[in-house]
Amino acid sequence: MKQVGKTVDTPNGKLDILDNISLDVKYQEAVVIKGASGSGKTTLLGLMAGLDQASNGDVILFGENLTHQNEEQRSSIRAGKVGFVFQSFHLVQGATAAQNVMLPLELSGMDDAQQRAIASLQQVGLETKTDTLVEHLSGGEQQRVAIARAYATNPKVLFADEPTGNLDAVTGRQITDLMFHLRDQSGTTLVLVTHEQELLERGDRQILIESGKLLTN
Amino acid sequence: MKVKRATIHSYWLMFIATVITVGIVTSSQLITDRIGLLLDRQASELLAADMVIVSSNEFAGDYREQARKQGLQISQSVSLRTAIFIDDNPRLVELKAVDESYPLRGKLERAGEITGERTATTEIPSRGEVWVDTKLTQLVGTKLSLGEQSLEARWLLTYEPDRGGAIFNLAPRVLMNIADLSDTGLVVPGSRVRYRMMFAGAQADLNRFKSWLSANLKAGEEVQDLENARPEMRQALERTRKFFALSIVLTLVIAMAAIAITARYTANQEAPKVAMLRAFGISQFSLLKYYLRQLGALWIAATVVGVLVGWFTQFPLQWALDGWFGRTLPQVYGFRPYLTASLVGLLALAGFSLPYLINATATPPMQVLRSGGNRRSWMRGLLISGSAIVAVFVVLVILMQSSILAVATLALVLTCALVLPLILTWMVKILLVSSRRRFWLRQYLLSRLQATSRGAIYVMSGFSLVLIAILLIAVVKDELVGEWEAQLPENIPNYFLINIRSQDVDGIRSFLQAHQIEASTPYALVRARMSQINSVDVDKIKFSHPGASHSVTHTYNMTYADEIPDQNKIVEGQWLNQNPGLPQVSVEQGMAEKLDLKLGDQLTMTVGSKVLQAEITSIRSVVWENFKPNFYLITESGLLESFPQTWLLSALIADHNKADLKQLLKTYPSITLLDISELMARVRAIVDKATVALQFFFLFALASATIVLLAAIQTGKHEREIESSLLRALSAHTSQLYRVHVFEYTLMGALIGFFSACFASLAGWAISVYFFNIEFQLSPTVWIYSLVSACLVLTLAGTMVSRRVYNISPMKILRS
Repeated sequence: MKQVGKTVDTPNGKLDILDNISLDVKYQEAVVIKGASGSGKTTLLGLMAGLDQASNGDVILFGENLTHQNEEQRSSIRAGKVGFVFQSFHLVQGATAAQNVMLPLELSGMDDAQQRAIASLQQVGLETKTDTLVEHLSGGEQQRVAIARAYATNPKVLFADEPTGNLDAVTGRQITDLMFHLRDQSGTTLVLVTHEQELLERGDRQILIESGKLLTN
Repeated sequence: MKVKRATIHSYWLMFIATVITVGIVTSSQLITDRIGLLLDRQASELLAADMVIVSSNEFAGDYREQARKQGLQISQSVSLRTAIFIDDNPRLVELKAVDESYPLRGKLERAGEITGERTATTEIPSRGEVWVDTKLTQLVGTKLSLGEQSLEARWLLTYEPDRGGAIFNLAPRVLMNIADLSDTGLVVPGSRVRYRMMFAGAQADLNRFKSWLSANLKAGEEVQDLENARPEMRQALERTRKFFALSIVLTLVIAMAAIAITARYTANQEAPKVAMLRAFGISQFSLLKYYLRQLGALWIAATVVGVLVGWFTQFPLQWALDGWFGRTLPQVYGFRPYLTASLVGLLALAGFSLPYLINATATPPMQVLRSGGNRRSWMRGLLISGSAIVAVFVVLVILMQSSILAVATLALVLTCALVLPLILTWMVKILLVSSRRRFWLRQYLLSRLQATSRGAIYVMSGFSLVLIAILLIAVVKDELVGEWEAQLPENIPNYFLINIRSQDVDGIRSFLQAHQIEASTPYALVRARMSQINSVDVDKIKFSHPGASHSVTHTYNMTYADEIPDQNKIVEGQWLNQNPGLPQVSVEQGMAEKLDLKLGDQLTMTVGSKVLQAEITSIRSVVWENFKPNFYLITESGLLESFPQTWLLSALIADHNKADLKQLLKTYPSITLLDISELMARVRAIVDKATVALQFFFLFALASATIVLLAAIQTGKHEREIESSLLRALSAHTSQLYRVHVFEYTLMGALIGFFSACFASLAGWAISVYFFNIEFQLSPTVWIYSLVSACLVLTLAGTMVSRRVYNISPMKILRS
């Protein structure tokens, strides 16, 4: 990211959410973003992942400058190369664990989606729950499905927003272990937003953000 | 300020749904009252009054005084048959003497000569003059001897509102002033005279008078009102009224479905707020009070707006009818429609939304910490459904004023409401199982439809109910209009040829054929009176039906036929001649019901001085509206052939054939031509008016359905945005998002369309057969309309309403 800024319109005028952010994330690195509530962490993660468009500056992902790309183009750049894990899991209710994992694979047009999904669920230890509806799974199991979904496409980068935020301490620790274990296996780059001390400590690098400005890189 | 805005947002759908409900009730009450009044007035014209007492004797009761007390208008007429002499030949005429108030409804029409202009008039014949039937054209300007009086035939009488029931039975009319009647000396003890006392006034006054009459009517006197006046009118009016009632109820069901859907949505929206307030220690009771105040305010606002909307929507129909018939719908005064509408609004709002809100106030405070929805206990589920059922039932009773009809409609609605979600869930499950290999699109959508949090099945069921209601209105409307059109086709006869001598029948038929005039089968007329039923004198039988005594003293035109007449249908027994050797008679269904006649009963008839006996071997339904020769009693030919008889037939005589009539009359001077086109045109006008009104109700239902559709789509909007945002984050393209929605709405449409067509066909059959007494034919167009309209409307409206979703930022998923 080079001198990236994000400004939004509010009823009281323009508001700078991010200001002049410059940072690099290296291949296979595990970067953890921390900061107070409202500091701009989630916005930064969204810009890095190409979910949002910067108001100024350059965001380069896989060699492509995302700043001037529309959502459709950014979506093509993300396809198959980026995985996501969310705080609230965001699984499709009414579908099984395997079907949830198959979703991004089929969206990318992969033919062997079912086999890949089952393999991915095996990696997160849910091989016995492939045909279980996700609403019947515990919070920790649901986050495992979300991680399996994120890793199923063999992404180059995994973005996670407070992945343990909705889980108890023990489950949160298990999820952290799982994410780093998979990252070690696959060599995926990790970018995480978190408040959790344990996650912060597991990262290769911590980025501190405050009032939209980068304090530690 | 923000809190207030959020509250308004969560309530606005419910507000609109309530406005529509109140609007529908206001409008339909006003419109049906006005149309009802118009139809009554039109029908009253055919009675020349709102109510008539008919008797063969002079009225003994003090009806005139009593009616005056009730504020009714009164008129009296006396009619009798007598002979006049034309060129020294006797001619039977139907003499009618009327007073200055006649007719109380409708107007007489007269002309100076047969080709002259017909003008409506409020006058009646002055003393010393008579007006004569168009069949007596040659008498105009001459003096006519009636008994001991000689009166001048001043005008041709071209239209008379209350021309009798059996139209082919009429001798030419001679109308005179009642003040001249006694001077003629025609009415003497023993004369066969019909006395008619006519009444007109406000419905409430009439009802009071009627209830007084029921206790004071003398033997041999019969009340005729709009319900029992003319058979051909009665059925059309009855069906129209029933259809109005059905349309209102079905339209209302649609509006109430909207309230139910939006109430559920509002309660779901309120749940987090309730959880937060309960976490702060606000009691459930305080929350309930808060919501009751909110609902009260919503009801008041929605009632004011709804009543205004309803009041305004009556005008398009008024304009439509004015344009069609050049007549203004009568005004309805009073507050009843508005009060009914506000009461129905309150009942619907309370019945559907209160249980949901009570349920919402029970949201556990833990939901602040962990959202997981407020699971309903079975008790609360029972409260919600029970309250909705009671609300629907009370509303139906208020509007239909018949608990039987309300129970039947409620049963229909409940069956749909209970069975539809089950069937739809089952169908989705089957589709889910049918393919597990690929997930994207089909199964993804099916999973979403199945997910209870989304409420898609309930929304689909609600929409199905709406579609069923619309299809039912359309199906029954088409059946009804189709039935009317089948009975009143363009080429129905416009003339009756009566008084045909037996020896002239073949000649007349040949004449008509040669001139390419379409004519019915000729029927013999034998005049007979019923003297005994099962060997008991009819004047000794106590009939349960009030009109029965008149029916038995009436002189009938019986006929004989080998084949069942056109549009007659055997409802019981077998047509004549199936069992030769036994004297048989076929009886019309209405008459059989009136006189409690059944198969196997023996009827004794007096024909002239002879007596004949026959067994009832069949009961027939007759389409009275078809203006063809119709008969109460038909026997086998062997039984009546030898009796004195004249013949009649009906014919369609086009304008270019009318010149041929002179030749016909010249060749066969004994026959009488009866022009029925005027009467037919009036019946057709009523049917046409009713058809326009039916179409208007259909549009009303469609408009409400659109709101339900928007409400239904709106309720899933938030979830849809989150899902689209997720799919975006998972790298879905716009075209893929677009496919998701098109596929989702088309699938929903197909499921809804399929089941709606099933239910509508079933219910349409039941309603047509049991409610309207008309034949039902399964129409493939219902299925096509249902499937195509549900798929198209849902897909188009859904994708249009959801178009914002395609541009949704994937960032929403991070922030949700």
